[in-house]
Amino acid sequence: MTIDRRQFLQLTTAGALVGLTSSACANDEAEDTRAVAEPALLGMLGADRVRELGVRYRQMVPAENREAALRAAITNGGQRGLRVPWTSRPSLARQVRDDFADGRTVLVNGWVLSATEARQCALFSLHHA
Amino acid sequence: MHTDTSALENGTTLEADLCIVGAGAAGISMALEWIDSPLKVLLLEGGGFEFEPAMQDLYRGAIVGQPYFPLQAARLHYFGGTTGHWAGFCSTYDAIDFETRAWVPHSGWPIRREELDPFYARAHHLLDLGPYEYDAADWSRRDPELVPLPLDERVVWTKMWQFSPPTRFGTKYREAIVSARNVHLYTHANVCEVEANESLTAVQGLRVRTLGGKEIRVRARSYVLACCSIQNARLLLASNRQASAGLGNAHDVVGRYFMEHIEMPSGELVLAQPETAKMEMYAFEWGRTKARGELALGAQVQREHRLLNGTASLEPGAPDDQVKSTFQFLTPQVLDAMRKWDQAGRKGPPPIPQPLMDSAAAAAPPRFFHLMTRQEQAPNPDSRVTLSAEKDALGMPRAKLDWRMTELDKRSIRTFYQLLGRELGRSGTGRVQIREWLLDDDRTWPSSISGGWHHMGTTRMHTDPRQGVVDANCRVHGLGNLYVAGSSVYPTAGAANPTLTLVALSLRLSDHLKTTLA
Repeated sequence: MTIDRRQFLQLTTAGALVGLTSSACANDEAEDTRAVAEPALLGMLGADRVRELGVRYRQMVPAENREAALRAAITNGGQRGLRVPWTSRPSLARQVRDDFADGRTVLVNGWVLSATEARQCALFSLHHA
Repeated sequence: MHTDTSALENGTTLEADLCIVGAGAAGISMALEWIDSPLKVLLLEGGGFEFEPAMQDLYRGAIVGQPYFPLQAARLHYFGGTTGHWAGFCSTYDAIDFETRAWVPHSGWPIRREELDPFYARAHHLLDLGPYEYDAADWSRRDPELVPLPLDERVVWTKMWQFSPPTRFGTKYREAIVSARNVHLYTHANVCEVEANESLTAVQGLRVRTLGGKEIRVRARSYVLACCSIQNARLLLASNRQASAGLGNAHDVVGRYFMEHIEMPSGELVLAQPETAKMEMYAFEWGRTKARGELALGAQVQREHRLLNGTASLEPGAPDDQVKSTFQFLTPQVLDAMRKWDQAGRKGPPPIPQPLMDSAAAAAPPRFFHLMTRQEQAPNPDSRVTLSAEKDALGMPRAKLDWRMTELDKRSIRTFYQLLGRELGRSGTGRVQIREWLLDDDRTWPSSISGGWHHMGTTRMHTDPRQGVVDANCRVHGLGNLYVAGSSVYPTAGAANPTLTLVALSLRLSDHLKTTLA
């Protein structure tokens, strides 16, 4: 099979894109693993309060009292909106904002939290019991 | 002119074109409007020019509903009235406050918000307020430090407040009233009865008593009761020799719908980025701040969620702080100390506890804020003023206050904070915590329940005599020459403190009387 210069450029560009995307996805996953269990709330309320919120959330929602369940719920929460298939999932910060905008909030110890960040608190409490 | 009624002969009859009963913010605002008019005006004040315990005791009454401070501590009974210890918080009512809201029983004013604009502007001068401007963007242009939070204004907006120095009417306007040629102030003139004609279609006189045992009569072409919500209702109810239920009370409305503003610590705000957040707009320093914003719920959101109108003010402080409600903070003792400090020429720092003093003076940008609710309570016919069996030193039945809440009051505050939490989260401003007392059922109120020392309702305005005591011109239904001034005519309480609106309404009534008495 022979290919002309135009086809060659198209294929190499596509290959490069696939490589970049795979690499980005791998990086994203590693980052997500860390970030998911470190809610932005840590900067606002500190580790002790975030841990308390996480423990309380797990009491309130026993079905999510496991790491896998919490991660799955967070992931599912991020898949609600329209997404371009080959991009990584929306940032957690964006997901939290979307939760607030769409009314996906929970009351934990009186705090009005996004569903995503409440689960992040729960993960944090599991990691820092 | 001024006369102490105690110096008059027993049985004297005074005559005038207009008689205004009560020399507080409403009565003085009206009287000032008549200076140098061709008509003769009487201004009757129950007290003198200074605080007198015996006069103050005439306001004592019974409390039978929600806990409330002693009534004699809530209102001042001397020239200038309660402006002698008010804090000067002013804001306009919102358009939605005047609407009939299907989810708020008994809501709706017979006038629209826009009708009050010219009177609000005039009231600003009397209260020594700044420009008649309540748009946050305008205040930002005047002072670039005043930046509203980046919120969706359809959901939560910044409602502006202005602060009177606070103007003490008794001090500021005494000379103008006393030196007026055609306005005659009578102090120590306590009206104990309003007398109607035989057909109960008009007032023909007032019976006035002094603590020294004298009784005089007053006759005028028109009369205005401007004695505050509790005393206006008490006087009409006690005028029951000719009509057993009291004057203007053919439909058992007088005294009902007593309202307060619910002023309670209700939540906490933690900022996401305190270093970069601009919070000067929401700061308050007693005696210095001219204008500030409070967070208020948008009208459309109120409609969608069927809520009452309210605002939240921001006060720096940690979530674990002991936060006080208005009643816990501005106790009768503090109010008394404020009055004495003011009368002594404001020497030294004001006797105000720390939180109100320091909110603008924190060394580092605060991360935490207490959220203090100020919300209207739903008009409730069972929240009412009636007469007690006990009589005061003038032989007049004392007032009995039965202050009551509804489930809508509490649900509205809780939902407001949930929506506030969502909007502050969505905008990246921070997070909101709702206080525990709001998370109980909607029928339960904490023992620390607090108003704002604001009395409203009891002679409400309505076009239908079965639903209101006064008409849209503040004239008592069925009585051709009796009017009511003050916040007792409010059909609903709005979110803002009542003084600015009651002065505006008094000026409006004054204009109306100028046409009817001309």
